[in-house]
Amino acid sequence: MTQEQEYGKMIPEPVPETAYFWEKVREHELWIQKCTDCDHVFHYPRFHCPKCTSSNLDWFQASGKGTLYTYMINHRPAPGFQDEAPYAIAVVQLEEGPRMMTNIVGIENTPENLVLDMALEVTFDDVLPDVTIPKWKPA
Amino acid sequence: MESALKDKYSIVGIGETDYTRGSGRSTRALAIEAIRNAVTDAGLKMQDIDGMLSYHGGDSVNSSTLAYDMGAQLNFYMDCSGGGSSTEALIGLAIGAIEAGMCETVAIFRSMNGYSQVRIGGTGSRASTPVSGPGLMTRPYGLASAVQSFAFSFTRHMMEYGVTSEDLARVKVAHSNHASNNPKALMKQRVTVDDVVNSRWIVRPCAHLLDCCLETDNATCIIVTSAERAKDLKQQPVYIRAVQGRGTKPGGDFHYQHGPISRVAGHYVGPRIFDLADLSHDDIDVTGCYDAFTYTVVLQFEAYGFCKEGEGKDYIKSGIVNLGDKRPNNTSGGHLCEAYTHGMNMVIENTRQLRGIVDDYCPDWQNGNHTYDYSEGGCRQVRNVNTTMNMGWASPATGSALILRR
Ligand SMILES: [Zn+2]
Repeated sequence: MTQEQEYGKMIPEPVPETAYFWEKVREHELWIQKCTDCDHVFHYPRFHCPKCTSSNLDWFQASGKGTLYTYMINHRPAPGFQDEAPYAIAVVQLEEGPRMMTNIVGIENTPENLVLDMALEVTFDDVLPDVTIPKWKPA
Repeated sequence: MESALKDKYSIVGIGETDYTRGSGRSTRALAIEAIRNAVTDAGLKMQDIDGMLSYHGGDSVNSSTLAYDMGAQLNFYMDCSGGGSSTEALIGLAIGAIEAGMCETVAIFRSMNGYSQVRIGGTGSRASTPVSGPGLMTRPYGLASAVQSFAFSFTRHMMEYGVTSEDLARVKVAHSNHASNNPKALMKQRVTVDDVVNSRWIVRPCAHLLDCCLETDNATCIIVTSAERAKDLKQQPVYIRAVQGRGTKPGGDFHYQHGPISRVAGHYVGPRIFDLADLSHDDIDVTGCYDAFTYTVVLQFEAYGFCKEGEGKDYIKSGIVNLGDKRPNNTSGGHLCEAYTHGMNMVIENTRQLRGIVDDYCPDWQNGNHTYDYSEGGCRQVRNVNTTMNMGWASPATGSALILRR
């Protein structure tokens, strides 16, 4: 069995738009994009600003601080997640403005523990030698 | 602005297959049966259909294939990619095609082996969603099905407005009471709030098993033509007062990015449909509110302005949505109890309500004679229905609406 098969979960395959994001994640850094024409900060990565469609974009390192915007606790696991259910999938409000999807680690995923707007910080899970996934934990 | 085409087009035929979990047939065979039933209902022949529209998620059959089986020569057809909220939108497109002179009579169909082949709610090998684009940023976190991706909107809504599982369960109770008077319904058993909250969790805190719709094998069909032509057909015409959608939230992808996450597409679609129809909420006698999950109903009643934001739970609790009350919702049982059809059955039901010949357990329903006794196994015809509204849902970010009148 390969390591990938053993991991069993969906692995993000970087596409041209997202390659830089995943590359920085492998270095344990969270980078997002900003439009240099209209200053709009956004995520997930694109080749155009979703506010003004400009192609003049910069990458910058996010603070890695955010809050729990919303979540749901999944009792019907996706492939590879069978041993973890019930597990939360959450949306984090990044300090810089955009929201991103994630898993919450470091606490049991119960409604009692998951308080909306609680402070979170990013952490990096090296799930395979060449694959890292950003996750969030209580700050 | 009021629509120039208001009441100029009609729904003249409706049809469906049996609702089952194991049709044992192809979507092609299912579709033909639904279309044949709708054509018969309208008093048309298969060859009278010269326009076709359908929607699918890669799980259905093409119009051109069906045209061979129908012996029809089409002047117009399109098979669109889409799920919920396509029903209403395709009724609008049918009007557009006829108005443009491309065809005269359009059969809109949806055919799906939604239980035995491609399951929308599936998380295993039969899951329907291929991974691409934005999915690369969500699937690694174990996001797999609609109930999960929509739930982000509702968790926040629940916490902000103090909505409980019991509040949601009341949606299911109402629809199950209605389904108990619908011989076609897949789940005719009336359920209680306790039944719902004691069923197993699917996603917490938004949905127990009984808060979720019933994946179903079925095909459905709605036939649209001009009001002028409708006069010569078999049924009392049902007029299309106005249609709007599919409309989106700004920045509709990754719906959780924009504005309050609990604000859904109906917030944008709602004002437009009432303007086009030149009607207000008070004019609506019956609603059909897309109930993929109980929480989609709560979110949409708020978004469309049937109640204030945060008061969807109170709107349900007031009983207004029950048969016998002021504005019943999903009188067939909807997706939660009749069948999951991607929105078609709720437009079909409202058409029957407007005709006054709802197919319930009243002995002489075919002639429009109803008992108006809404107890279990009885009537589900609403008295004096003049105007109905459908609120279709594809996701928190996309929706459609339709107002019909008699
Ligand atoms: Zn910009």
